[in-house]
Amino acid sequence: MLLSSLLLIPFLGTAALLLWPGKPAPGQMRLITIVILVLQLLASLLVTLRFDPAQAGMQLQEFHVWLPGIGLDYALGVDGLSLPLVLINAALTLVSAVITRDIDKRPRIYFAMLVLISGAVNGAFLAENLLLFFLFYELELIPLWLLISVWGGANKAYAATKFLIFTAISGMLILGAFLGLALLTGSVDFSLTPVLSDRLAMGGQIVLLGALLVGFGIKIPLVPLHNWLPDAHTQASTPVSVLLAGVLLKLGTYGLLRFGLQLFPEAWAKLAPGLAIWAAISVLYGSLAAIAQTDMKRMVAFSSVGHMGYVLLAAAANTPVSLLGAVFQMVSHGLISALLFLLVGIVYRKTGTRDLKVLHGLLNPEKGLPLTGSMMIVAVMASAGLPGMAGFISEFLVFRGSIAQFPVATLLSMVGSGLTAVYFLLLVNRAFFGRLSITPSSDDPRNDARLDVQLAVVSPRETIPAMALVAGVVGLGLLPMSLSRLSDASLTAMALQAMGVS
Amino acid sequence: MGSALPLPLQLIWLIPVYGFSGMLLSLPWATGWVKRNGPRPAAYLNLLVTLLAVLHGSWVINTIYQIGPQHLDFPWFQSGDLNLRIGFDLSLTNLAALELVTTMSLVCQVYALGYLDKEWSLARFYALVGFFEGAMSGVVLSSNLFMSYFLLEMLTLSTYLLVGFWYAQPLVVTAARDAFLTKRVGDVLLLMGVVALSAFAGSMEFNDLYAWAADLKESAVLGPTAITLLGLGLIAGPMGKCAQFPMHLWLDEAMEGPNPASILRNSVVVTCGAIVLMKLMPIVQLSSLATDVLLAVGTISAIGGALVALAQVDLKRAFSYATTSYLGLVFIAIALQKPGLALLLLFAHGLARALQFMGVGSIIATSNCQDLTELGGIGTRMPATSLAFIIGSAGVVGLLPLGSFWCFGLLVNNFQQSDPWFAVVFLLTNLLSAVNVTRVYRSIFLGQPLPKTKRAPEVNWLMALPMVSLSVIVLLLPAIMQRLDPVPGIASFPLSVGLVVAASGAIGVLIGSLVPLNQFWSRSTTPWIRVIQDLLAYDFYTPEIYQRTVVSLVANLAQFTRWFDLNVIKGLADGVGRLSLATADGLKLSVSGQLQSYVLTVLLAIVLLLGVLQVGRGG
Repeated sequence: MLLSSLLLIPFLGTAALLLWPGKPAPGQMRLITIVILVLQLLASLLVTLRFDPAQAGMQLQEFHVWLPGIGLDYALGVDGLSLPLVLINAALTLVSAVITRDIDKRPRIYFAMLVLISGAVNGAFLAENLLLFFLFYELELIPLWLLISVWGGANKAYAATKFLIFTAISGMLILGAFLGLALLTGSVDFSLTPVLSDRLAMGGQIVLLGALLVGFGIKIPLVPLHNWLPDAHTQASTPVSVLLAGVLLKLGTYGLLRFGLQLFPEAWAKLAPGLAIWAAISVLYGSLAAIAQTDMKRMVAFSSVGHMGYVLLAAAANTPVSLLGAVFQMVSHGLISALLFLLVGIVYRKTGTRDLKVLHGLLNPEKGLPLTGSMMIVAVMASAGLPGMAGFISEFLVFRGSIAQFPVATLLSMVGSGLTAVYFLLLVNRAFFGRLSITPSSDDPRNDARLDVQLAVVSPRETIPAMALVAGVVGLGLLPMSLSRLSDASLTAMALQAMGVS
Repeated sequence: MGSALPLPLQLIWLIPVYGFSGMLLSLPWATGWVKRNGPRPAAYLNLLVTLLAVLHGSWVINTIYQIGPQHLDFPWFQSGDLNLRIGFDLSLTNLAALELVTTMSLVCQVYALGYLDKEWSLARFYALVGFFEGAMSGVVLSSNLFMSYFLLEMLTLSTYLLVGFWYAQPLVVTAARDAFLTKRVGDVLLLMGVVALSAFAGSMEFNDLYAWAADLKESAVLGPTAITLLGLGLIAGPMGKCAQFPMHLWLDEAMEGPNPASILRNSVVVTCGAIVLMKLMPIVQLSSLATDVLLAVGTISAIGGALVALAQVDLKRAFSYATTSYLGLVFIAIALQKPGLALLLLFAHGLARALQFMGVGSIIATSNCQDLTELGGIGTRMPATSLAFIIGSAGVVGLLPLGSFWCFGLLVNNFQQSDPWFAVVFLLTNLLSAVNVTRVYRSIFLGQPLPKTKRAPEVNWLMALPMVSLSVIVLLLPAIMQRLDPVPGIASFPLSVGLVVAASGAIGVLIGSLVPLNQFWSRSTTPWIRVIQDLLAYDFYTPEIYQRTVVSLVANLAQFTRWFDLNVIKGLADGVGRLSLATADGLKLSVSGQLQSYVLTVLLAIVLLLGVLQVGRGG
C-alpha cells in the first residue's frame, strides 16, 4: 500500500485541485499544491526508510491482476535503481511548485498538471509491468505538452508541437517493442523477466531492443534525436524546465536500464560497443553545440544532451561500478540541471534576457545578483565535474566503470567533460564577471559603461530552493555513500545478472 | 590501527578541515549577512584557524620525530572493487611541506590584512584563502592518488576564484578564465590517468601503486602504448599546476589577482603540484618517453622561463616567469630520480620566492605601480622592503650561502658525472635568474626617484612584520634544510662545485649590474635583436599560438556543430513535420467516402505488419 500512496497522493491531489470549490486565488492554489507535494515527499522518504538496501531485488511489491487478457497487471515495486529517482522526482516537483511565480493564466490547471506529471512519473518508476509502465510514460506526455503550450514563451506552439510529435514517436516505438515482444514470444507475459535466447532468437531481440533504444533515445535525448529538447527548454517556463531536465529526461535513461539492459541482456551485450561510441558522440556533440550557444538556457539544454550521454556510456559498459555511476549521474544531473535552470530563470526574470552578448557583470554585489551569481558558479563547477560536488563522483564512477570495457569511448567522453568547463566558464565570464551592464557591447564606451542598472533583490521563494539544491549537490559530492548505500546491492546484482547471461 | 596512536595523530584529518572551516566561518561576512564592524572578524577567524593548523602540525612533527612515520586512513566511498579512502602519510618530508604550507598561509594572511586594508570584500578573500589552504594541506599529506587528485582540482577552483577576485576588471576576467582552463586541461588528462590506474591497478594508495608498477614489467597487463599514454596523462596535471611550458601562461596572467594570493601561488601552490609529481614519478618512469618529455619540459621551462622573465617590464610578471623557470629545475631533478633534492629546492625556492613577492607587494601597495620603467630610487625610503627583497633574491640565486646555493651545489654535484648537460642547465638558469633579480633591483631601488616613487613611505606594520619574520626564516633556512636532510648533509659537495655555482651567480649579478637598464625594455634598432626581444617580451607568442591552434579548433568545431544542428538536424525534423502536413493536405483530397477502400487499406496494412513481424521472429 505504501507504493500505491505515491500514486494516490498526486492523483487525488490533481483531482482535488481540479475540483476545489470556488475560485481560489493563484497563491492559494500554489499553497495547496505545495502541501500535496510535501505529502508526496514524506511518503517517498517513508518508502526510503522501509527500503532494505542490503536486498537486491524489488521490494515493497504490490500486485493486483488488472486485465489478464492483455497481460496488464497492477504490479509495483521499488529497487535501488528506481528509489533514488522517486526521491528526485518528489524533491524537484516540490521545487518547481515553490518557484512558480503567481501565474495569472488558469492557475488551477497549471498546478493540477504539475502534480499529475509527478504522479505519472512515480508510476513509471515503480511499475513492474511493461504495459503499466507505458501507461504512465504516456500519461505524463499531455500535461507537459499543456504546460509548454499554454504557459510557454513566444514560440511555444512550435516547441510544444515538436515535443509532442517526438515523444509520441518515442511512445509508439516503446509500445511497439513491448507488443512485439508478446507477439514474438507468443505470450502475454509483460513482467520484468529477462528475454533470453531460449525464448526469442537473437535477431528478434535486436529488433526489439533497437526500437526501445530509439524510443528511449528520443526521451533522454541522444544525438541525433535531441532536436526537440533545446526548443522545449527555451520556450518552457522555468519551473517546467526544472521538471523537464531534472525528472522527465530520467524516464529515458531509466527505461534504457530497466527495459533495455535488464530485459534484453544478451542483445545488449551485442550492441554495447556501438552504444558506447554513440554515447561518446552524444557527449561531444552536446558539449560542442553548447559552446556555440549565446542563449543561456539553450546552453544548459545542450549540456543536458552531453551529460545524459554519460549514462548511456555507463549502461553500455554494464559493470557494477558503471551502473552505480549511471544512477549517480542521473541523480546529480537532476539536481545540477534543475539548479542551473532555476538560476538562469532568475536571471531571465530580473533582466529580461538570457543573451550572453547582452548580460555582463551580474555578480556586482550592490546592484547585481551576487547570491544568484555565487550559486551559479557552484552549479557550473558541479556540472563541470569539480570534486566536492555531485558531478565529480558521478563522472568518476562512470569513467572508472567503463574504461576497462571501452577505453576509447571513455576517453572521448572525458574530453567532453573538459569541454563542459569551457562553455560554462564562458557563461560565467560573460554574464557574471566584468562590469555590470545589460546592453549589447558597442564601440561606444559611454554606452558600454552604463551603470544605471539596478536589479531588484531575488525573493526567498527562489533563493531558498536554489540553496537547498546547492546543499544537495555539495552534500552528495562529499558524502556519496548516502546514495550508493541505497543502490549498490541492486545494481551489482543487475550487472552480474547481465554479465552472467551474456 | 588508530587507537594506539597519540591524539594529535588521530586528529590529523582536522588539518585540512582547519582551512575549509575558515572558509565557512568567513561566509557570514563574505555574503554580506553581517555588515556591522566591517569584514575584519572574518580575517581574524581565519588567522585563528590557520594558527591552529600550524600548531597542530608542529605537534604532529614532534610526535613523528619520536615514533617514526605513520600512515592513517579513513573509508570514504566503497562499492564493488572500488575503494576510495581518505589517507594521510605522516612522514617527516610530508609534514615539513605541511608546515611550509600552513606557515606561508599564516604569514600571507597577516600580510593581506595590511595589503588589502581598504578592500571591501576582504571576507571573501579570506574565505578563498581558507579554502586554498585546506586543499593544499590535504595535498601534501595525502597518501593516495584519488585524494590528491580531488584536492588538486579544488586548488584549480580556488585559484580561479582568487585570480578572479577583482572580477569586474576585463584583464582579470580573461586571466581567471585562462588559469582555470589551462589547469583544467592538465587536470582532465591527469583524471584519465587516475581513472585508468584505478581500474587497472585496483588500489589508489601510492604504495600499492608502486608495487603494481614494479610488477608491471613482468605481468604485462598494459601494452607499451598504454603505459606511455598513462605516463603522459599523469605528468600533464602537475605540468599545469607548476606552470610549465606549454601550460605556463596562466601563472603570468594570474598576476592580475591580489598580491597575497600571488605570494601563495608562486611559492606553495606550485610546490603542491611538484609534490604530486614526485609521488607519481615511480609510475611515470615506467615510460621512458614520459620521462624524456618531463626532462624536455623542465629544461625548456627553466631556460625559456628565465629568458622571458628578463624581457618583462611588469614587476610581478618578471618574477612569475622566474617561478616557472625554477619549477622547471625541480621537474628535471624529479625526472632524474632525485626526489630528496627536488624537495629541498622546492623549500628553498618557495620561501625565498614568497619573500620576494612580499617585497614586490609592498612596493605595489606604496607606489600603486608595477611598471619597472616608472619605479626607481626606493631603496633608502623603504629599508625593510629593500632588505627583504635582497634577502629573498639572495635566497633564490645560488651565490650567497642561503637556501638555493646549497641546493644548486648538491644538484650540480649529482649530475656533473651522469648528466653533465643538466648540470649546465642548472648553472645557466642560476646565471639568468641572477641577471634578472639584479636588473629588477637596480630599476626599483637604485637611481633617481621617479614621479610615482617620490613619496614612498615604508609599509605599515601588518605588512612589515610578516616580511621581516620571513626574512629571518629565509636566513635560517640552511639550518632547517640540514635538519631535514641530515644524511649526507647539505654541504656534501666539493668546494670546486660550490665555486662554480657561486661563479655562475656572480657572473649573472655582474651582467645584471653592467647592462644599461633601458636595454631590457627599449626596443633595439638592430633587427635580429628586436626579433629576439619581441619573442621574449611576448612569451614566445604562446597566447597567440594557443589562439590560433587549440582555441580556434574548438571554436570552429563548436560553430560547425551549431551549424549542423540548425541546418541538418533541425532541418530534418522540420522537414519531416512539413512533409507530414503536406501529405495530410494531399490525402485530405483522396478521401472518397467509399467504405471498401478503407477496409482494403486496413487489411493491407495488417498483412504487411504481420509479415514484417514474422520475418523478425524467424530471424
